[in-house]
Amino acid sequence: MSTRFSHDDDGVVVIIGSGAGGGTLAHALARKGIKSVVLEAGRRHAMEEIENDEWAMFEKLSWLDERITAGPRQLTETFPNLPAWIVKGVGGSTIHWAGVSLRFQPHEFRMHSEVGDLPGANLLDWPISYAELEPYYVQAERHMGVTGESSGMPLHDWNNNFKVLAEGASRIGYRQLRAGPMAINTRPYDGRASCMQAGFCMQGCRFGAKWSTMYTDIPRAEATGLCEVRPNAMALRIEHNDAGRVNAVVYADGDGNLQRQRARAVCVAGNSIESPRLLLNSHSSLFPDGLANSSGQVGRNYMTHATACVFAEMPKPVNMHRGTTFAGIISDEAGLDRSRGFVGGYTLEVISLGIPFFAKFMDPGQGGWGRDYAGILEKYDHLSGVWICGEDLPMEENGIRLHDRRRDQYGLPVPIVYKGDHPNDEALRRHGQQQARRCYEAVEAVRVFDVPDFPTSHNVGTNRMSARPADGVVNRFGQTHDIDNLFVSDGSQFTSSGAENPTLTIVALALRQADHIAERMTRGEL
Amino acid sequence: MTASPRVTLSRRRFLSLTGALAAGGLALGATGLWPRWARAESALARRLLRLGRDIYPHESIEDRYYLAPLTPLLEARRDEIAAGLDDLDRRARAAHGRDYGEIEGAAEREALLREIQSSDFFQAVRGALVVGLYNTPELWEPHFGYQGSSWEQGGYLNRGYNDLVIDWL
Repeated sequence: MSTRFSHDDDGVVVIIGSGAGGGTLAHALARKGIKSVVLEAGRRHAMEEIENDEWAMFEKLSWLDERITAGPRQLTETFPNLPAWIVKGVGGSTIHWAGVSLRFQPHEFRMHSEVGDLPGANLLDWPISYAELEPYYVQAERHMGVTGESSGMPLHDWNNNFKVLAEGASRIGYRQLRAGPMAINTRPYDGRASCMQAGFCMQGCRFGAKWSTMYTDIPRAEATGLCEVRPNAMALRIEHNDAGRVNAVVYADGDGNLQRQRARAVCVAGNSIESPRLLLNSHSSLFPDGLANSSGQVGRNYMTHATACVFAEMPKPVNMHRGTTFAGIISDEAGLDRSRGFVGGYTLEVISLGIPFFAKFMDPGQGGWGRDYAGILEKYDHLSGVWICGEDLPMEENGIRLHDRRRDQYGLPVPIVYKGDHPNDEALRRHGQQQARRCYEAVEAVRVFDVPDFPTSHNVGTNRMSARPADGVVNRFGQTHDIDNLFVSDGSQFTSSGAENPTLTIVALALRQADHIAERMTRGEL
Repeated sequence: MTASPRVTLSRRRFLSLTGALAAGGLALGATGLWPRWARAESALARRLLRLGRDIYPHESIEDRYYLAPLTPLLEARRDEIAAGLDDLDRRARAAHGRDYGEIEGAAEREALLREIQSSDFFQAVRGALVVGLYNTPELWEPHFGYQGSSWEQGGYLNRGYNDLVIDWL
């Protein structure tokens, strides 16, 4: 905690963001003896501030700076200023994530090769294969404490919510039903406690049983003396020298004063809205379209997962609020099977919400009220829910743009987050809703109903990896094609969204990037 | 219970973020009495209450739990709310020949409300209630079976997270 680097120290790697990408990277670099300064826009939260209270934690944790939701989707109407549900704070969205830690499937790294060109989609293969990432998946799973083979921890027992869904799923023929893998301890692991099944995973884990950089990588990086984390530090602009190499980051500190931290290299890990926004805002005479944007792909190909929720009222109380929030996963539909009428797959993940959130999110539109609505809420304890996590195809027009007039509290243009569905996304979503309904009907649900999409927590793709510089922003190590010492270290690197929650893959990529940065520094290249 | 200024602000902030109107918030902790404004203007309060109870009808929830989350709205935008209720009565008289609160059928009242559900007035009342009413801890367990904060009691590891027996099939 006490390490302080000078603003003029040009030997530090500046990392922007402290979540799954930035927090992991800072720790991994520190263990290799590499110094870093982490600029985190949000504040530190103490464990004692973590409450089991949905609205209170929403207010404490969420990134609430002005954003504009756009595009032909329901969120544009229902959450016009909250397109994404992510965290502003030390630890980033690893405070809020629910712990689901699925690896991408091998074919998901080569979607373009698998399915060819699809009209309207901007499909591309990743420049890395599953086989190349696999060792880092194992490393990430051990690092985070993911239940299953890598950590040796058993999977969780099935909670009530998953029992209901799984019973229905098995009755319609599904076989891949698992209460994991989750980065939530089933026994003490890595100095952290075992899960108490408290619920409230997405409000922050009070026991530290769920992996979060907030109480693992960040304090451990700081303890090495090689990492300084600066909370309340909002990165405004990345600067470069005449040769086009980045050399400093200008940020606003907690008092609103501008500071400039010099840098040996810069790693951007501010999530898929802020990361491209920062690159775009860093335009200069040398890079008039923003940094690393010779391809024009910065801020494009924004993917969120094709999602929806289905809830069901059961004949008896389920008490879905007891136990982990995303307690079980069905993977039978995760593969690629074009006979279903769409490409890509989806996982079905059991989900719970408390009554405060459920009342709001069951139908956040203008019609979310009335006798039937209240009637469902009266049966709150009889409900079970499932969330569809489906492959969302990249589309060039989906992305982050800067408003031409509106400015935020830092004087930066407000981001416009535009997202529309590809017809494939719609077909996948309908299939998922229908299959989820079948599961619940097979277990004799009293009624089954669709719940619309929430502000999204899975934001990926806006600085994507590509083999050719013309197709994307970063190469196979997350290094930008255009600028040698500028890296992207978060989910915005993703070339495709997969049918899996992104955090595990973000961590695996960050661990791999740390190795790459260290090797290049050893060779004197960086 | 959770009526700190910060939390009140947060809900208000959320309402504006979510496109509901900039009003809301909470004043929990009423002790069985109506809020002061409701006692001072009981006719207005009863009309608003009828509306609130039609938006989220729960027979066994007491009036004060509806009035409490509507209090900040009344304080901030009394005239607009009163005008909205007047407009609702006009529509009720045109359709049924009587004021809104005098229409006996809940379905008829709901149908009238569906016609105005996109109005700022209606969404202000709905927005305050959907965040406020359901965030009332004393209603959670008795009324909805939601048990709220659990970490203080060691979560549900030994309190029924996996106690369900599917015996109805």
